[in-house]
Amino acid sequence: MNGLRRYIDKIKPTFSEGGKLAWLQSTFEAFETFLFTPNTVTKRGSHIRDAVDMKRSMITVVIALMPALLFGMWNIGWQSLVVSGQWSVVSGPQAGFWLCFVFGLVRMLPLIAVSYIVGLSIEFAFAQVRHHEVNEGFLVTGLIIPMIVPVTTPLWQLALAVAFAVVIGKEVFGGTGMNFLNPALVARAFLFFAYPTHMSGDSVWTAAKWWGTDAIAGATPLGEMMGGGIRPTASLIDMFLGTTAGSTCETSTVAILIGALILLGSGIASWRTMLSVVIGGGVMGIVFNLIGANSYMQMPFYYHYVMGGFMFGAVFMATDPVTSAQTNAGKWIYGLLIGVFAVLLRVGNPAYPEGMMLSILLMNCFAPLIDHCVVAVNIKRRKKRWVRARTGQSVE
Amino acid sequence: MVEKIKIHKGLDIPLGGAAEPRFADRRDIALYGIMPEDFVGFTPRLEVHEGDHVMCGQPLMSDKNNPRIRLTSPVCGTVKEVRRGERRAITAVVVEKDEVQQPWKCDTESIKTREGLIEAMTDCGLWAMMRQRPFGTIANPNDKPRDIFISFFDTAPLAPCPERAINVSCLERAINVSCPEMANNRQWLAAGLNALAMLTEGMVHVCVSGQWSVVSGQLADNIIFHEVTGPHPAGNIGTQIAAIAPINKGEKVWTMNRQDVATLGRLVTTGEYVPERYVAVTGPAAAHPQYYHITAGASLGELLKGQLSSANYPKLALSSQQLAVSGTRVISGNVLSGRAVGVDGFVGAYDSQVTLIEEGDCYDFMGWLMPGLKKHSFSRTFLSGVLNRSDRNMVTSDQTQVTHHRSLITYKFNTNLHGGERPLVFSGDFERVFPFDIYPTQLIKAAIVGDIELMEKLGIYEVEPEDFSLCEYIDPSKTEIQSIIRGALEKLRNEF
Repeated sequence: MNGLRRYIDKIKPTFSEGGKLAWLQSTFEAFETFLFTPNTVTKRGSHIRDAVDMKRSMITVVIALMPALLFGMWNIGWQSLVVSGQWSVVSGPQAGFWLCFVFGLVRMLPLIAVSYIVGLSIEFAFAQVRHHEVNEGFLVTGLIIPMIVPVTTPLWQLALAVAFAVVIGKEVFGGTGMNFLNPALVARAFLFFAYPTHMSGDSVWTAAKWWGTDAIAGATPLGEMMGGGIRPTASLIDMFLGTTAGSTCETSTVAILIGALILLGSGIASWRTMLSVVIGGGVMGIVFNLIGANSYMQMPFYYHYVMGGFMFGAVFMATDPVTSAQTNAGKWIYGLLIGVFAVLLRVGNPAYPEGMMLSILLMNCFAPLIDHCVVAVNIKRRKKRWVRARTGQSVE
Repeated sequence: MVEKIKIHKGLDIPLGGAAEPRFADRRDIALYGIMPEDFVGFTPRLEVHEGDHVMCGQPLMSDKNNPRIRLTSPVCGTVKEVRRGERRAITAVVVEKDEVQQPWKCDTESIKTREGLIEAMTDCGLWAMMRQRPFGTIANPNDKPRDIFISFFDTAPLAPCPERAINVSCLERAINVSCPEMANNRQWLAAGLNALAMLTEGMVHVCVSGQWSVVSGQLADNIIFHEVTGPHPAGNIGTQIAAIAPINKGEKVWTMNRQDVATLGRLVTTGEYVPERYVAVTGPAAAHPQYYHITAGASLGELLKGQLSSANYPKLALSSQQLAVSGTRVISGNVLSGRAVGVDGFVGAYDSQVTLIEEGDCYDFMGWLMPGLKKHSFSRTFLSGVLNRSDRNMVTSDQTQVTHHRSLITYKFNTNLHGGERPLVFSGDFERVFPFDIYPTQLIKAAIVGDIELMEKLGIYEVEPEDFSLCEYIDPSKTEIQSIIRGALEKLRNEF
């Protein structure tokens, strides 16, 4: 490691102020700090600091995403080769585990690569122009975006969506920490509204067209329910395990729950937000069960947890510390309303099968207002105390 | 009557190098220095010149805005040097001690009244130890405080705290043996508290941690004891004020450190001002962490002789400017809110602790990815946090648990920032180490943008920078929160 360190120290002047490649300073810095935690020391105040930094927080989230990502890769293969029946058409026998996984890997990697390359290029450029260090936030956003789109999303559309999310969703507000909408959901919403034909319907969820044959449509459970189904074709267990059609990596509730354990265990994500989203969704589901006006409303409320992106949203999106409510009481309100609106949109809205994305984006907008109201209670209490102290003194 | 208060939020950082409960041999320290920077809002006007002979209690500097507030010489001697820093601001006035010492004296009869006491305290310089909240400045002798708060214990990392020391009776015995003058401490503490009770029409709130019967003697009626337990910052005066009677806008409360209360008690009992105290030299880089008996303002270079000779820490920070190039940082105060003064500095006016810690100017290969067995973090993102959870809710008074915890994992602490500075991302962790009825996140934001009205609404008057030291410690975006709060408080103070 010393050799590497020496080499970095040797080339550092080239990238520093006055060096030949000074215009790449932020980029160099990003790679340097990627390799070595910097030798910066504290100056005053707390002379020692907690070992955690943004890189560590972000990498913890990336690790928490891994189970869902790996399962998603396998499921892409499973859906495209086995469920759609394509593999047996082409070659006869059923596709094995590794074939499914490798197929999914091959389909997934370009999506991830495009997301990271486009997003990080923009991040690096903005950091350079602002003379900032490159922020780690995109490590997570850049991985989440390909995990929540249909596997058939054209790469150029994904690139556009990522660029839109990074520039309009984040950088115009000043970068990570300043944005009020979850950038990954901004990308998803961009795709959804700009290219609706590629984002909905029954045929986009399987990569079967690769074989040149027409896909046997694999409808998502949410799509089936919106189409007037009594219950999804897939069983509750299938949906819990995630062997159903859907966006690339959001189908498996169990894989997402493993991620949730990592997030909660490491203390990175708020349990209040996660729990309250689940409660909110459940409450709304039960209300619909009680009304029971159509088959969708009659569907047991817990089906919502395992269908579509509900759990993925609750665990990885609603908990984004930047765009969620920041007070503890606010987190409860914020999470409950996300759950309520997600189920409300699913059941009540005839236009979109999935309500989670719009529900979180909506509550992202309201999070500052929720915090404002929570803090206002504290302010009022302080003011009351002040008035009491003043009047108390004047009596004496 | 003792009221019990339990603080639930906070964090005890498992830093190694606590002082052994023993006193080093008395050593003859020649140089003493008063550093105006220790006193918030104090604008120094020099009262002496280099070469002047001064007596103990004779003013070295006075406040340009309030001449009654003076910083006096802790010893009889000769003014050796007036140190100046940037833009010729005075950084220290250094006095070389004479062979023969004579304490400052007054008539004990004249200080039986409130006015007489304040007069004597301002005269000898003990008044500078009386601080007010909000703002943390030296109290204005013309004010009448709502209440006076005294914390008899300290929960900061490695803080010298007789009540929390690992072996209380052992330390008490050590004090009796090596500083017989301090054996009177309990009587003096009582006398000091009674004197303070004269200064306010409100209450004198004394917070103890409950392990040591700390005072002996009759106490005035308006003195109340509170037994406070919990993790750091339970011992911080700000936490205690917030738990007992929070400061409202326009109110002022006064605070004083435990040892200065004893000095005050000695003043009212004997008429002598003797600014003696014990100070603990602590920290992972200290060769022999232990207690010393000193006079206020003692030179750190002389005090720390032998402490830094260890082969592991060959290089020393000579001054605060040289921090980054040296091997060991010398902090007057605790590691969370103390000031790096360098080895040619002096024991800070309000400090009874010196912390020595290794500089962290080294690189860490893939530090963000490694399991991190020796890294301490409030979050559990490192393996150390997963393997060893006991530091999260460590019961501080239970010594067996402390030992148990240390034997599991020895954390390596240094001054490395452990990351790069980033825009603030609030994860909600601040709220878990901030035991105030205040939203820290919102208050920090208001302080950053300088919105005075909002800061007032959110309770800025109830806090001091040190109250945010744990927030600063755990902050993953590495923001200097204490500096932000200090800046905000200074802005508010200048508005009045």
